[in-house]
This record gives sequence, C-alpha cells and structure tokens, in this order.
Amino acid sequence: MNSCYKKIRSTKYSIKGTLQGPNAKAGHILRDKIKLPPPNNTRKVKALIIGSGISGLSAGRWLKNNGETDFEILELENHIGGNSYFGTNKVSSYPLGAHYITIANNDDNLLIDFLQEINVITHFEKELPYYNDYYLTFDPEERLLINGEWQEGLVPDFGVPVTDKEQIKRFLQEVDQLKNTKGNDGKFLFNIPLSSSSTDPNYRKLDKISFHSYLEEKDYDSKYLLWYLNYACKDDYGQKIDKISAWAGLHYFASRRGKAANAEQNAILTWPEGNGWIMKQLVKQLKDHIKTSVLCYGLKSMANGDILASIFNTHTNTTAEIIAEKIILCAPQFVNNRLLGNFNRNIDYKAFNYSPWLIANITINELPESKGINLCWDNVAYNTLSVGYVNSAQQHLKLSEDKKVITYYLPLCDFEPAVARLAAYARSYEQWLDIVVPELEMIHPGITDAIENIDFWVWGHGMIAPTRDFVWSENLEKAKAPIDNKIFFAHSDLSGVSIFEEAFHQGINAAKQVLNVTS
Amino acid sequence: MNKKLPALLLISVFVVATCGLIYELIAGTLASYLLGDSVTQFSTIIGVYLFSMGIGSWISKYFEKNILSWFIQIEILVGLVGGFSSTVLFLVFESIASFRIVLYGFVSLTGILVGLEIPLLMRILKDRYEFKDLVSKVFTFDYIGALLASLIFPLLLIPHLGLVKTAYMFGMLNVAVALIVCLSFKKEIRASKYLKSASMVSIILLLAGFVYADKITSFSESQTYSDTIIYSKSTPYQRIILTKKNKVLRLFLNGNLQFSSDDEYRYHEALVHPGLQALPFAKHVLVMGGGDGLAVREILKYSNIDSVTLVDLDKGMTSLFQSNKILLALNKNALLSPKVKVINADAFSWIKAQHKKFDFIVIDFPDPSNYAVGKLYTNAFYNLVKGILAPKGLMVVQSTSPYVAPKSFWTVNKTLESVGLKTIPYHNYVPSFGEWGYIMATDPDNIYKKPQQYLPGLRFVSKESLDLMLFFPKDMAKVETDVNKLNNQILVKYFEDEWANVL
Repeated sequence: MNSCYKKIRSTKYSIKGTLQGPNAKAGHILRDKIKLPPPNNTRKVKALIIGSGISGLSAGRWLKNNGETDFEILELENHIGGNSYFGTNKVSSYPLGAHYITIANNDDNLLIDFLQEINVITHFEKELPYYNDYYLTFDPEERLLINGEWQEGLVPDFGVPVTDKEQIKRFLQEVDQLKNTKGNDGKFLFNIPLSSSSTDPNYRKLDKISFHSYLEEKDYDSKYLLWYLNYACKDDYGQKIDKISAWAGLHYFASRRGKAANAEQNAILTWPEGNGWIMKQLVKQLKDHIKTSVLCYGLKSMANGDILASIFNTHTNTTAEIIAEKIILCAPQFVNNRLLGNFNRNIDYKAFNYSPWLIANITINELPESKGINLCWDNVAYNTLSVGYVNSAQQHLKLSEDKKVITYYLPLCDFEPAVARLAAYARSYEQWLDIVVPELEMIHPGITDAIENIDFWVWGHGMIAPTRDFVWSENLEKAKAPIDNKIFFAHSDLSGVSIFEEAFHQGINAAKQVLNVTS
Repeated sequence: MNKKLPALLLISVFVVATCGLIYELIAGTLASYLLGDSVTQFSTIIGVYLFSMGIGSWISKYFEKNILSWFIQIEILVGLVGGFSSTVLFLVFESIASFRIVLYGFVSLTGILVGLEIPLLMRILKDRYEFKDLVSKVFTFDYIGALLASLIFPLLLIPHLGLVKTAYMFGMLNVAVALIVCLSFKKEIRASKYLKSASMVSIILLLAGFVYADKITSFSESQTYSDTIIYSKSTPYQRIILTKKNKVLRLFLNGNLQFSSDDEYRYHEALVHPGLQALPFAKHVLVMGGGDGLAVREILKYSNIDSVTLVDLDKGMTSLFQSNKILLALNKNALLSPKVKVINADAFSWIKAQHKKFDFIVIDFPDPSNYAVGKLYTNAFYNLVKGILAPKGLMVVQSTSPYVAPKSFWTVNKTLESVGLKTIPYHNYVPSFGEWGYIMATDPDNIYKKPQQYLPGLRFVSKESLDLMLFFPKDMAKVETDVNKLNNQILVKYFEDEWANVL
C-alpha cells in the first residue's frame, strides 16, 4: 500500500484525492529484517522513548515536568502523533484518527491537571471544572438518520416501536446504575484509566464472555438496541458486539461520570483537527526532544546494564546507535515484538487484536438539504457500515461557510482483522470510492455531485480491540511488566482500550517508573 | 388518398390530447399557488374545463364547410391562448380585483377550443376510415395522451421548466401540429399560405415567450409581498427585498421583515437613545449588525461622538444602504459620514481580534432563529463584547419580543448576567413587529442614570416614555431560564418553540 502522495482522478466518479496511511515501508523494514548499513555514530541519553503517539508524548511531558530533560523521543513516521495525526486543506483542518475526548472523571486528577495546563479547563466553579467554552462541542451535537428522518441524539427514537424503546430504556437504566456501582474493594466497577477499576471478580468475569452473549442472557433482543450497541462497539473498539467482551461493552457506557460546571455529564470536547489539537499542545514543550523519520530496529542489553538501541533514519538512510539507561517502548506490541528478540518477554502477541479502519476526509461544496435536524458535529445513519461522519467545521465561529470537510469513519470489521487488513492494503482508490460513495449517496441523495475531493487514510492496525478474555487476562498483565527494570512499556494496547485517557496514563505510569528507578 | 395521413393525424391527436390536459393542469396549479386551497381550485377548474369542452363539442356541429382549415386555425388559437395563459394570469393577479373571472375565462376559452378538436378531427377522417376503426384509434390516442400529460407534468415539467415555460412549450406543440397538418394537406385547403404564415408567426411569439419566461416569474415574486417590489438582490448571505406602497418602504431579509419606514423610528430610537443619552462623554461607538445604517443615523445625532464602527457580515447590504437614493434619504447618509467606518466581517471572528474599547456598543443582529446566528447570543460571545466595553460604557442588545417569546427574551437577559454584567431590560411597541425588547448591560459597579432630557427632534423616546418602557407588565414578566451556551444553545430551541405558536 502506498504511503506517498498520488493524486488520482477516479474514472467512474469525477472525484479526485489521495490514498494514504502509516508508513508501511519503514514498518516492514522491521518486519522483514532487511539488512541495513552499519551505524556511523553513537550517542548517549538517559531515557529513550520510542514512539511519539500520546503515550510517548505523555511520558515525555511527565519526565520534563519532574525535572528530567535528558531524554529523546523517536518517531518512525515523518510526522508526530500516532493516531492523533491530522490533516489540513484550504477549507479546514480535519482529524485522521482520534477526534474527541470526553470531560474527565472528577477523580482523575492527573488528567484534570493536564487539561488545566493546556487551558481546556479554564477555572473551577463551586469545585467543578469549568471547561473552555470554545472546546466543548457546539450545539447541535449529534443526530441519527433513522426511518427517513434525522432525529436529535444517537439513541434510536424516531419511528421506533414502543417495545424497543422500553428495552433501550431498560438498558440505559442498567448501565446508569452500573456507572455508580462500586465493587467489593470500594472502587468503581468501570473507571478510567481501566486499571483503576474494581477487581471484584463478580464483574471482572464479564470479561470472559462476549457482549453479545451478555445481552442475550439479559433478554435484550430489540434490533434497534442491538444496532446502537454495535455502533458503540464499532465506534470505540472497531469491532462488533460478538467480538468484544461484555466488560468492555459495558465500560463504554458505565465508565464516564465526569461532572462540569458548564456542561452535562459525558460532554464532549473537540477541535477541527480532532485530538491533533491536544497532541500539538503536548508537542509544544517537547519539540526539541522529538526526532521524526527515525526507526528503531534493534535493542540489545549491554554489559553495564544500559540498552543499546540501533536506529535508522529513513530520510538520510543512515544508521546510528543510542545508548540509553532506560527505554520506554511506546509502540504497539506487534512492533515491540520485532525489537525484543534479545530479551525474555513471554507473552502471546497473537492475543492482541488490532482493528483496521478507513478514514475518508471528504471536501464537499454544499450538503444537500435533509429532512429533520440540520448538520451536527456527529452524524450517524441507522444500519450502515460506517459509524457516521463528523463535521470538522463544527467548532468554527464564522457564521456561514458552505464548503466543508466531513470526516467519515469506517471500521473494517466484517472479517478477521488480519484478513480485513490485507484486503484494505490491496484496495485501490477507485475501489474505496465504490465502498464509500454509495453509502454517502444513500444518506444524502445528491451528494455525489457536490463532492470535490476525497482523501482516504487506511489504518491497518488502527486500534487495540478489547476482545473476550483480553483486558483482564494474565497475558496482558505480563505484557505490562517492565524488563529488567530497564525497558518499560506504555501504549493504549496495554490497557486494552484505545482512548486518549488510557494512552495518557500509560505514558505517565512508565515515566514514573523510570524516575523511581533513576532516583 | 395520401397513405401517410393516418399516422400523422393520430400523432396529432396524441399531441393535442396531451396539450389539452397540460393546460388544465397548469390552470389548476396556478390557481392553487395564487389563491391557495388546492382542493377547491383543482376541483372547480377541472369542472369548468370539462364543461367548456362540452360546449366546444356542441358548437362543432355549426362548422359546415372547410373543416380542415378550421381545425388548423383552432390549433393555432389553442396554442396561443394556452401558451400565454400562465403569463397573463401571473401578471394580472396583482392588479385585477376579480382574478377569478380572468382565470375561469381562460379555462373556458381553452376548454371550448380543445372541445372542438376531436369532433372536427373525426369528421375530417370519417370518409377515409371505417368508423369503428376511427373511433377506436382516435379515443385510444386521446386517452394515452392524457396519461402522458398527467405523468410528465409533476415529474418533469414543473421541476425542470416551471409553469410559465411549460405553457409556452405546449403552445408551440399545438401550433406545430397545425403547421404539419397545413403542410401535409396544403392541396386540400384554401388559403393554406395564410395559415402557414399564421402558424410561423405564432410559433415565433411563443418561442419569445419561452425564452423570456424568467423575467416574467421575477415579476411574480411580488405575489408573496403585499406591496410592489422595487429592489431585490441575492447576496452570498441572504436575499434582500425592498418593497414600496405609497410612501412606505419595507425591507425584507430572506422573507423576514426588518423594518417598515413608517415606524422604524420607534425601534431605532428605543435601541439607541436610552443608552447613548446617558453617556454624555461617549466618543467611540460600535454597532454590530444594523447594516441598514438606521441605528447609526440615531447615533450621529450626538455631537460628542467621534467615531462609529459598523460591523456587518453582508457587503451587499451595507453597499446598498450606501448607494440607493431612497435608502440614503431614509438613513440620512449615515453610512457615508466621515465619522463612520463600515467593516464587512463575521462578528465573532472580528471581535476576537479587537483590543480597542468602545463607550457604547449596539448589538442589532437578526433574531436567534438558527444555530449559526445563535452563536452570537451566547455567554462566550457576550464575554468577548464585555472585553471591549469601556469601564463606564453601556451595551444594548436587541432581544426579540418579550410578549411573543418571553423565554427567549429572558434567556438573553440571563446570559448577559452570567458574564458578570448588570442588565437593564426594557421594551416598546413597534407596530410592524409588535412588542419588542431590548436589554442594556453594564459593569455592575456602574449606575445607570435615566436621562432627564433628550436631544430635540426625537419622536418617541422621552423621559416619560422610558419609564413606560422599563416597566414589564405581568404578561411579559421575567421567567426563569438557562444560560445560552455554545455547547447548549437553548435560546434557539426556545425561539423556535415560541414563534411556532405565532407563525
């Protein structure tokens, strides 16, 4: 699959654009153990962070905030940010992956501190955080196309039979109760970060069955409710309810209880460039520490206990060596697998399932008129493959703008991840149009003529999926453990759920361990 | 006998039948548009049309000689009458008291002519065919033509051509039939040359009508306005329409009345003077919205004012009010004053970049009827306005009607209070709008002193009338509401609910 720019004009549709994704070429140097030239220099650093996604940036921030400045962050891509990467064109900035966070749970002090640092929380009123008015999602927030009309909110309501509505109500009440329930250890059953959730085995055991089985046991069979729950799992985990564990499925609904002075519970914060905005704030303090287009392809223990990292610069095609006292691996585990050949890390890498995603950024002249609520930030259609699209201009202040960039999210979950991934890499620009444009046309008849440009971004290994018996498995517990107190790990895939908060805490956790061991 | 004839004539029957039904549908649709109540209109039009066809069929017996020539002439007449029908009806709607007489006149005339067609045609063909064959074929094609007309009318013609062009098109088809029959039968008809030229002329007239149809429909926009439209313009942001009746000028933006020249002084005096008269040291004034320059006209009455900055998104609007003679007479050249600077920009973005402070700020935005304008009524926006308000300054916000939309009005009040301002709400009666509300706001440490004296020449605002404006009777009393925020625009929701009861 190509990572370089190719302006392709499709022949069936008069739509042009690009097909891109993470740099597979560099990644495959690692996978295929391609022979590289011998290193031409060596340098020393106290802490080496590999990966500049949110985990890596968060770790860097913690080190810096605690006085440690002798560290480097290496990034394989030519851009920083991992899944928080974003794009910009003449019309707007737009996300390429992660695109929002919810307001923080009030017991998540580390996150609240950070949000205050970057002015997402501007001050406190009556002990509740006051979130920046410009970052809370502007009204109208979300709409659902169902039974021919756009209704407000994503929970199916318009044209839904009474019995289905009652089941939906019953489910929402149930998760609302679970939200406020604590386990036998006094901790919330479902919390963020996941590691702070209760260990109560009565609930942990829900991780061993699929969400689908759980719902069957509880007599939830309304097609509208099941569609909504499938949508939720696809949205946060990239897989459907039969693949996701019941614990994770419930976590989506029961883990967020943040209260704000100026917003409702579960309010959402977003920016035109999605989480790219947050990433930019993290990068501000870390610019001098980050090196992009650098691939780490080997780690070796040295006699004195330091770690020798072999690195390859994909720009200059030269190799070098870095000797670090500590390493924080902030890459996904399937990458770490290639780096730790010289170390003992007995974990089952195959247990890690990564959901592939397709993101399409569509520049349109004007959205056709639709029946019901007008364009919102999040726009979802009932019973479609995608999880809808986001209006990247929602947070713009200007009164009128006809041209828009909408960001369309399609989880590739109809086949096993490995299969879906290969198929995705093999697909051409035209073939992607054949998948995306008909669905858009169904949602908005007449939109095809208004489309100016579509840029596709394929995430082959988009996000970790919390499949059955994964999040609380011994395997994952082992994977979190550092190696020889020298190599530490931080990534959302070690939490089992790919959200900003998890990566944020993972990074801090690893950095804390590095600082503890150092001092 | 010419073997070509049957096919040609049967096709003529088909075309003629299609045209006949099309005129009927046009008349019915037009009547629904202009008179409303589509059920009644369609029903009576169909009735009158069929009845007239009956009259036509009956008088066909009085045609004895030269039936072929008569048929051709009737075709030409149908084409002209039917073709020009829509246009005449649109134009006439405004000025004629009994539009219905003209409408049913047209319907009857067309009906009579159409009613003549089939009987005459049957008589022309009677000697050339077996009767049973003739009757079957003619009526078959007649009815199929009717089906075609009824399908293409709503699905193709109205969406793509519109009423006026459709009428001209079928008028031309009718005359084309006349011409073809004329040419094919020219040996059998007397004065075929005259008929031929008559047909050509008619086709040309109808073609001209077809081409200029748009100019006619723009005239007809006035059907939705009770006065004569004297100016209309579409800017990138809105449709601006000016109407005039006798001496009264009205401005509509996207169909919503913005002001009426006979009573706008009540609105603009109330907007400006309670605030500005209380600021004798004011020098710099900001107006947001108000691209018509009428608020600026009031502001310029004060000699102590050094500068007025007007920020209005729509250049089409401000340039109109800087150039049109009638409008300049109304706003007294306000936007052309050297003290005034007109900036065409989005208010939110503009204000974020401002550092200069203003002594008096007038916010004259359109009503909060959608989420886009609603952003300009949020606490975030008012916070920005507060940031450019001078310490002793005053701001005033037009806040819609506290009578029709009390929740909306008091939400604006609450939102202003939520950013730490003290509010002074007031209202007055503007005949074109009804009871209208305004809210002044200032730093809580300031004391608003009601002016004891006003500029000479004001027609409404005075010491006594301000007292009346400040008092809110029970039916407009304060109601509890929430703050309007960017992430929860309750004002738009209240506004839609409250005005839905009225409109």
